[in-house]
Amino acid sequence: MNDQYRNNMHKYGRIFMVMGIIVMFLAPILIWIITGVAPNWAQMIAGVVALSIIYLPGGLIEMMTYSPLLGTSATYLAFVTGNLINLKVPCVMNATEICKTEINTPENEVVSTISVAFSSITTVLILSLGVILLIPLKPVLQSELLAPAFSWVISALFGALGYKYFKGNWKMIIAPMIIVILLSIFIPTFVNGQVIIIILIAAIITLIVSKILFNKEMI
Amino acid sequence: MILYTLAISDVKEAWWLYAIGAFVTLFIISGSLFFAYHANKRSKELNMSRENIKKAVISSVSFSVLPSIGIFIGVITMSGFLGIALPWIRLSVLGALHYELMAADLAVEGVSAANLTVENFVTIAFTMTIAIVWGSLFTLFFFKKYQSKVIDKAATKKETRSFGPFLFQAVFIGLISAYFGDAFSRMFGYKVKEIIDGSYTGNESIETTMVPLIVFVISFLSMMLFDYLVEKKNIKWLENFQLSFAMLIGMTSAVLLGMGGIF
Repeated sequence: MNDQYRNNMHKYGRIFMVMGIIVMFLAPILIWIITGVAPNWAQMIAGVVALSIIYLPGGLIEMMTYSPLLGTSATYLAFVTGNLINLKVPCVMNATEICKTEINTPENEVVSTISVAFSSITTVLILSLGVILLIPLKPVLQSELLAPAFSWVISALFGALGYKYFKGNWKMIIAPMIIVILLSIFIPTFVNGQVIIIILIAAIITLIVSKILFNKEMI
Repeated sequence: MILYTLAISDVKEAWWLYAIGAFVTLFIISGSLFFAYHANKRSKELNMSRENIKKAVISSVSFSVLPSIGIFIGVITMSGFLGIALPWIRLSVLGALHYELMAADLAVEGVSAANLTVENFVTIAFTMTIAIVWGSLFTLFFFKKYQSKVIDKAATKKETRSFGPFLFQAVFIGLISAYFGDAFSRMFGYKVKEIIDGSYTGNESIETTMVPLIVFVISFLSMMLFDYLVEKKNIKWLENFQLSFAMLIGMTSAVLLGMGGIF
């Protein structure tokens, strides 16, 4: 890794992150200033504490899990623009696969940055276009006919992406799949309600199995 | 104090709230272009092929369209309760539909579109923004250290056979297995929270469905077919679009099942 380039990206990334946090707070602060109505502090603190019980450890796990896959600049970009698991991470996985780059290499840093940058631009442009064209679009997108398509967009995404990763790694996949299937049968609402924990469990199992296979020179 | 009497409907659809939305959009586009510019410059120093950079751009844009439409449907879902502008802003930055709905519900429990006040609105906006910021703060303060102390060490072993790449592969496989579980487990049960006018009503039920598993499998098989066409039949242009097409086929199957009464 070129340390100078990476250090620069950390510097720019941190500046972008601070600016991003300020931009995120623009809306609530301006609503407060312009209307002259302050938030109900007690309700706000209670809401933030309740949400943080999930999202504080969740934020840490997300940073630790996704940043190795994303690389330097893309991590900063993705943690401002959001939609990590349903968009940015699979987008990078796809680009990495197509460009045949290896994680944590200078080449992959380039590919993942470009991938997250253009994915973010696409999302905000589609959202803006949607807002502009809201009146004609609303009945189409809210139609009962199309509802199932968008309800299960994540399953479509990971099904499609799954093939690419399952193709060359079938020996590593059997164990996590068996565990996930068993968990799904016995605690289904936990599996689909706490996906981040299931990701961690499945990743740790894959890691253990991979290490055994690696030591036996089977992979 | 005159402003205090503003009606909630005026605040939800105020022009300045839309102006903030436009500003957030411009900020994200500028930031993305800034990093893309540096990455592109770096690619030239590394002598990477232009073809690869083009592939990264085209595949990422084409892949992002469908999930982004899904995110926009989230804006429409929330609009009944909070108007268009605030959900537009919230879903343009770190956040997600289920998170925003949960935040609104926890911040002002029992409030619906009919009795929402300006105070509720500003309380919701603050709560949504504060509670999601943890991931960004961890990235801001700890990512650099985590990268040098953990990620680099895992990736840069010098032996000829290195376990490093398998470490990342394990996370990918964990991710995909978990989302297979997400689809599979719904055959046995998943919680549905009732949403009316863009907010939770508090009513919950346990439902079952086979549709996500079918969608998962059809997308998987479609990808297998496209991969065959790209690798064996040499239809190279398909490479950048295969993921989007496979997703589209999977999503279409959900629509067809719905037409047949299977949800």
